[in-house]
Amino acid sequence: MSQQNRSTTNLLRGTLAIGAVGVVAAFLKASPERFWANWLLWFVLLFTVGVGALFLVALEHLVNAKWSVPIRRIPERIATLLIPVVPIGLLAIGALPVLFPGTRPEALHNKILAGKAFWLSLPFVSVRTVLVMALLILGLAVLVGGSLKQDQTKDPAFNIRARKFAPAFMAIFALAITLVAFDWISGLTPEWYSDIFGVYLFAGAFLGGLAATSLAVLHLKDQDRLEGVRKDHLYNLGGFLFAFTVFWSYIGFAQYMLMWYANLPDEVVYFQTRLTGGWHVVTVLLAFLHFVMPFFALVTRDAKGDGSRLRRVAVLMLAAHILDIYWLIFPILPGGPHFSWPEASFALLFLSGALLWVRGAQQKGEDMPVGDPFLKEGLEFRL
Amino acid sequence: MSSGKSFAVLGLFDSPDALMGAIPKVRGKQLGTLEAYTPYPIHGIDDALGLRRSPLGGMVLVMGILGAITAFGFEYWISAIDYPIVTGGKAPSSWEAFVPIMFEVTVLFATFTAGLGMLLLLNKLPFFGHPVLSSDAMKAITRDRYALAIESEGEGFDAEAAKAALLAAGATQIEVLPEPDRGPFLSADYILRVAGGIFAACVVAGLAMFGAVKLFPVLAPMSHMEDQPRLNAQKADPFFKDGFGMRMPVAGTVARGYLPLGVASQDEAASLVNPLPRSPEVLAMGKKIFHNRCELCHGALGNGVPTLTAAYGAKPANLQAQQFRDYPDGKIFWVITMGKNAMPSHAADLTETQRWAVVDYVRALQRAQNATDQDVKEAGAR
Repeated sequence: MSQQNRSTTNLLRGTLAIGAVGVVAAFLKASPERFWANWLLWFVLLFTVGVGALFLVALEHLVNAKWSVPIRRIPERIATLLIPVVPIGLLAIGALPVLFPGTRPEALHNKILAGKAFWLSLPFVSVRTVLVMALLILGLAVLVGGSLKQDQTKDPAFNIRARKFAPAFMAIFALAITLVAFDWISGLTPEWYSDIFGVYLFAGAFLGGLAATSLAVLHLKDQDRLEGVRKDHLYNLGGFLFAFTVFWSYIGFAQYMLMWYANLPDEVVYFQTRLTGGWHVVTVLLAFLHFVMPFFALVTRDAKGDGSRLRRVAVLMLAAHILDIYWLIFPILPGGPHFSWPEASFALLFLSGALLWVRGAQQKGEDMPVGDPFLKEGLEFRL
Repeated sequence: MSSGKSFAVLGLFDSPDALMGAIPKVRGKQLGTLEAYTPYPIHGIDDALGLRRSPLGGMVLVMGILGAITAFGFEYWISAIDYPIVTGGKAPSSWEAFVPIMFEVTVLFATFTAGLGMLLLLNKLPFFGHPVLSSDAMKAITRDRYALAIESEGEGFDAEAAKAALLAAGATQIEVLPEPDRGPFLSADYILRVAGGIFAACVVAGLAMFGAVKLFPVLAPMSHMEDQPRLNAQKADPFFKDGFGMRMPVAGTVARGYLPLGVASQDEAASLVNPLPRSPEVLAMGKKIFHNRCELCHGALGNGVPTLTAAYGAKPANLQAQQFRDYPDGKIFWVITMGKNAMPSHAADLTETQRWAVVDYVRALQRAQNATDQDVKEAGAR
């Protein structure tokens, strides 16, 4: 490890410690709603980034893609974020009644909530979340663990196994992302529901995973650890990012427009809170950062394969993704957007933690899946 | 075809690698524009040939944005300026409603620009006179050979030098191509033949149709159930002596549930007695009907402050006024039945029971708006 690497690690450990102190202080000082809303924000955020990266890996196996074989190890490493994030994040199960009205006993007095009391009840939410997370970790073990093992064994049987497993994983993935969207975000306002909400979170999650992957690829490429990864591979990552910013906006706007049109009181209240007061600015900013800027930054052909531009767009995308999750969760706290020392401490703690983890994961296995028989074909990929 | 002057020299290569290898060798000599003809796309060949970047992407972007602006302007003009109508309680200039159409028109402009711009503007099609199309090498190019052409850039094209360069670069076969035939694609002769062909086809098809209908006249095409042996509304019918298809009820007929009131004016109606008990069920029924039929004009509280005044213009009665609070039940019932001023009769929509239920509900509204301490006590006791 070089000198610079070590000093970065020490810096991250320092910010982690500062963040941890802040989080403990927030636990003692801030209201429990605010503390757990922060906790939920970072759980959902890091979960979506990890699961988005895992989706990219599974997608490659599913469609038998060759171009992404040389960079596959990077989303695989990012996907290992799920290993710490899932158990730490799920500590929030203990605080479910603080944030989720559907899990409180008085929900039974509400006509709408009483009708789905079983679905919203604390035991059922906990059990199904734990189950689906366990399935996801299983998927991680099969896809990523198998791939790491293939570095040594060079056994092509893994590719066949992964290809057969990928469709099943897609079902697990769809279930997991939908349940997280419904239970952990939509459940904050249980009287409001949107069928497309899971797809919305999926679009954001895939963008988050892609942006993190692109950043890590560019970072490793700078260190000459990804020899043979060229503009053509970057172009595909950029193309994916570009396409999914449009997809995210499409889903987000479709959801908004239908509710805006129908103007049903229990539906519009969700957007009413986000389009009035301090939240209005955040909503406009979100549309700008999550769609307008990345769209025009990536619209030309050269831009998608341009490493330095891709890096900036990826950073922007991750920031926009954080803002997106913040925008989804924080309006439940009364009194406009909150940003102060508790939020900053949480950001420091979880961002430093995630970066440390991903940096540690960068040492796992080879930088490219050297045991994959399609590696050569992937390296020869031309647009 | 041959105009004597040579336009291009074509060299055939046996493999894509040979072609790719030859390109830099020939390109350095700058004998003319380089163009490659291959049976399938070859990676990296546009960079090797030094082709300029297609302007199509920029054209599509500009036209797409123009499409979005056009659609927005058009929608805005229609909905907010030319014919503003409040639909679904939205402001006429709601941008949200424009977005789907903006999206569609953006896509429309962009795809048309991409398709037509590529075919007509950039590739200048239709053009059948390109010499490569009628060259001997054409068959080989579309099958298993890879051609590199050095094309003339105007005066001073040295065909011999081009030949030598291609041979030196490893071409297995050389062909010199004549000037392209840039004669008009739509010649008078061509137009005449096409128009004549269409005309002939029309004549044949028309005659065939005429014959078919004449030969098989009994086969009526779709009649859409127009002719049916039944009595049509508002039509004469010979079955009855007076020729009327629609019949009047026999004199003195009374429909079930529609017994005459037995009173001739609103003042007489004061004597009518409300047959319904003031039970919660009756009030609930009255509330629902009031909500559906009365509230729009009289307002939710019956105080004449409705949702529709601005659009409607009339001045609905304030049922909370002392005059109406003093009305006996029967007079209110009469108004619901017969209508008053601009208010239409509701006799056809509501049964007698329903009308009495509304009367009860109006009474409840009046009492609720003028509640006394005693009322509050009673309500509390319950």
